[in-house]
Amino acid sequence: MEDHEYDGIQELDNPLPNWWLLTFLGTIIFAYLYYLHYESGSGPTINQELKADLAVIEAAKAKRGTKSDSEEELQKLLASAAVLNEGKAVFQGKCAACHGADLQGVIGPDLTDDYWLHGQGKLADIATIVRKGVVEKGMPPWDGQLKDAEVSAVTVYIVSKRGSHPANSKGPQGEKIVSN
Amino acid sequence: MNETISRLEEVTYDDAIVRKFLLACMVFAGVAFAAGLLAALQLAFFPLNMELPWLTFGRLRPLHTNAAIFAFAGNAIFAGIYHSTQRLLKTRMYSDRLSAIHFWGWQLIIVAAAISLPLGFSQGKEYAELEWPIDIAITLIWVIFAVNFFGTLAIRREKHMYVALWFYIATIVTVAVLHIVNSIEIPWSYMNSYPVWAGVQDALVQWWYGHNAVAFFLTTPFLGLMYYYLPKAANRPVYSYRLSIIHFWGLVFIYIWAGPHHLLYTSLPEWAQTLGMIFSIMLWAPSWGGMINGLLTLRGAWHLLRTDPIIKFMVAALTFYGMATFEGPLLSIKSVSAIGHYTDWIVGHVHAGALGWNGFLSFAMIYYLVPKLWKTKLYSDRLANVHFWLGFLGIVLYYVSMVAAGITQGLMWKAIGPEGQLVYPDFVETVVRIVPLYWARALGGAFFLGGFMVMCYNVYRTIAASTEVSNETVRVRNTRYSSAGEGHRALEGMVTVFSVLSLIAILVGSVIEIYPTLSLHSYIAKTANIDPYSPLEIAGRDIYIREGCYVCHSQQIRPMVSEVLRYGSPSTMEESIYDHPFQWGSKRTGPDLARVGKKYPDLWHFRHMVDPRSVVEKSIMPSYSWLVKDKTDFLSLRKKVSVLRNLGVPYSPEQVAQADRLAEEQAKSVAQAIHDQGGPEGLERREIVALIAYLQALGQKEKQPRPTDQVTVKE
Ligand code: HEC
Ligand code: HEC
Repeated sequence: MEDHEYDGIQELDNPLPNWWLLTFLGTIIFAYLYYLHYESGSGPTINQELKADLAVIEAAKAKRGTKSDSEEELQKLLASAAVLNEGKAVFQGKCAACHGADLQGVIGPDLTDDYWLHGQGKLADIATIVRKGVVEKGMPPWDGQLKDAEVSAVTVYIVSKRGSHPANSKGPQGEKIVSN
Repeated sequence: MNETISRLEEVTYDDAIVRKFLLACMVFAGVAFAAGLLAALQLAFFPLNMELPWLTFGRLRPLHTNAAIFAFAGNAIFAGIYHSTQRLLKTRMYSDRLSAIHFWGWQLIIVAAAISLPLGFSQGKEYAELEWPIDIAITLIWVIFAVNFFGTLAIRREKHMYVALWFYIATIVTVAVLHIVNSIEIPWSYMNSYPVWAGVQDALVQWWYGHNAVAFFLTTPFLGLMYYYLPKAANRPVYSYRLSIIHFWGLVFIYIWAGPHHLLYTSLPEWAQTLGMIFSIMLWAPSWGGMINGLLTLRGAWHLLRTDPIIKFMVAALTFYGMATFEGPLLSIKSVSAIGHYTDWIVGHVHAGALGWNGFLSFAMIYYLVPKLWKTKLYSDRLANVHFWLGFLGIVLYYVSMVAAGITQGLMWKAIGPEGQLVYPDFVETVVRIVPLYWARALGGAFFLGGFMVMCYNVYRTIAASTEVSNETVRVRNTRYSSAGEGHRALEGMVTVFSVLSLIAILVGSVIEIYPTLSLHSYIAKTANIDPYSPLEIAGRDIYIREGCYVCHSQQIRPMVSEVLRYGSPSTMEESIYDHPFQWGSKRTGPDLARVGKKYPDLWHFRHMVDPRSVVEKSIMPSYSWLVKDKTDFLSLRKKVSVLRNLGVPYSPEQVAQADRLAEEQAKSVAQAIHDQGGPEGLERREIVALIAYLQALGQKEKQPRPTDQVTVKE
């Protein structure tokens, strides 16, 4: 017991618990070594770690390869109700905000008419635009966002709506293409 | 004079001031908790934003945090300090008049905050949102408090300072330094200003402040209170004097360095990040020193845990303190921060401390003080127990749901599939997943608030039964001149030396971390390859700050693969160099916006701001429809741009002189673009156009624009 007293509060002077002292010393030693490792050259910097990780992603991408969208293969999918359903789901989830639930065009253009800003309105053209986007015009690139199968599905879904003449169409934009 | 035994003297303590602070504490606790509950419900159910500007989440959250910290915890601290200091020093406060000015001044500040924050007057810096006139008032009142406190020390009848007082001293000194340095700002109107700090510099100063507000407003004063009220309530001697010395100095010296753990993986220089991390880890033991000294003081008195609600609250408070101060260092480890940062885990962490430690300790103090101050018995121990269990359940529910939400979302953001693509590229998908947990959290908050209301009733009945309210008078012996002792004991008798040593202890870490960043900043500014915002974008940015978008959105892409895939190249120090204040943010309820510029057409933003659901079906972001009605303040732009120019942003004199005209021109072209894309006509004078101009400028200010399809990582 210490010999002082404050407003009736007394103090003992028990020794510091050993485990507490060891924890304190342990963290100090860890802190010192950690700093030495990372800030004096031997440990990787955050950006070096990022580069290594990005290389892994690039390798994965390379393995995946850039899919070339073939008109014939996409044509075949047109007949599949399952694919069309999946395409519809993707479209309503990601595209309807800009192109409208009926593809009538809101922020982006009407996708049901014969007027196209990019390409000839063919399946492969559409798939390419969906992948790459038109960033400066506000059409996002969907490559990293949608899987290949989803890109195909949404493309097929768009073409299946060709000529559906939705109400409130935004009106024609781009060149009139007399396509197949 | 060196007499050890002096005659008995009569002292009448000023308990009236303690009663005042205590009641103010309870009133504002109610406000803070209710605001918190509403904010929690808004995240679970966005329509509760009610499209009322002053009630939206972005303005409500600062009101909640400021009320909780400065109004609730602040008044609790003052009540406890005024009560315990007089008794520990055996003297009345130095000046009743200063006490009164302190009390009324502080309440006035709170009222000013409660009006100005919902109106959107904000500096856009977390926990330092209050604008410059209020900042000045805070400084003045704090100085009054300090004079009163140190004056009381000067007239003390007890030579040595008990450990509680050390903590009070550290609090008063450090909060003054933090508040003043973080609030250096240049006004551009009677209620608005820009901070002198910018970008990385502002980030470091702000989080040095922000972290140490937790340390020196929510930790050290409460440890002081614990050291007084726990041994008093349990009637037990403090476990270890030695431990209190070591953990006091350990805390004061180490805490101040830990701020950068809020900035791990940002563009803050890496050495500073690493310092922040390692000092946070070293903080673990000193923090636990306080907890074990408290808990072990109860050795031999554990039976009280069953019978005495005050002890129950205190033990729970110390346990939550221990939990939070273990979790803090854990979250500061870089790889843990990588998952936890920007998520609700941090919100859970903070509330374990705020509700568990600060809340429960304050409640214990209130249950201890009310019967004493009103000279009666507590109305009902049973109700106090009900309060305890409601509160406890509330905290557990809150904490568990937020940690689960945080880890879930953190992992979803980072998930990358075998083909090198994000598994959840759609941000809103990761939000929808945790909305049920937002409901659970709100329920926890409701329990906590319910418990608090039980306490209010209990206190009300106790006070109603009181027949006598007076100031306590005691007869004390003056031990002012007893022998000094040696070592630390001697130091405890020297107020000035002690205070200066604490000041030095907190200045070391502050200077070592902040100074190099300040000089680095002026170096980058000279070579920066960045254009400043146009005047219209400045107007938009001020709207962004006013609406508190930064409480839900970050502007800082971390150098991690998952972030780069989602948002683009990592943010650089240069990019925010002209940001007064910086807007890196700390929480991603919505996605990062550092590179949102040009990602969407103007019309998309228009529709999204008016009604986020019209473009993102499951969004929980509030609607900002008033931005379409309200007019942009073009007139103040000249003043704003000129203030920024004086702060070093490279505007030409013509840009300053023509600021409003330049802004109007740009507004016309943005409005035209919205119309051309199919939106409404005639928006050029509306705030929404300024905001869209700002959003479209984010990440677009490099003089040589970076290729969008390529990641740039610095060496
Ligand atoms: C942020 C709004 C936005 C979203 C979301 C969006 N688009 Fe677009 N899209 C546009 C805009 C704007 C254009 C016009 C680009 C131009 O003017 O060159 C466009 C163009 C297109 C075109 C080319 C039309 C033409 O006339 O050549 C296709 C195809 C298309 N989008 C498909 C999609 C699909 C599929 C999705 C969903 C996966 C989608 N878009 C999502 C805005 C959007
Ligand atoms: C309650 C939290 C909250 C607040 C406050 C908030 N947002 Fe959002 N924000 C979100 C969420 C959630 C999303 C994701 C869903 C969506 O796109 O609406 C989002 C998305 C966005 C996006 C789209 C980003 C992208 O890359 O798709 C922008 C732009 C945006 N917000 C701007 C703002 C602005 C400007 C403010 C202030 C006026 C603001 N937000 C306030 C939660 C919030």
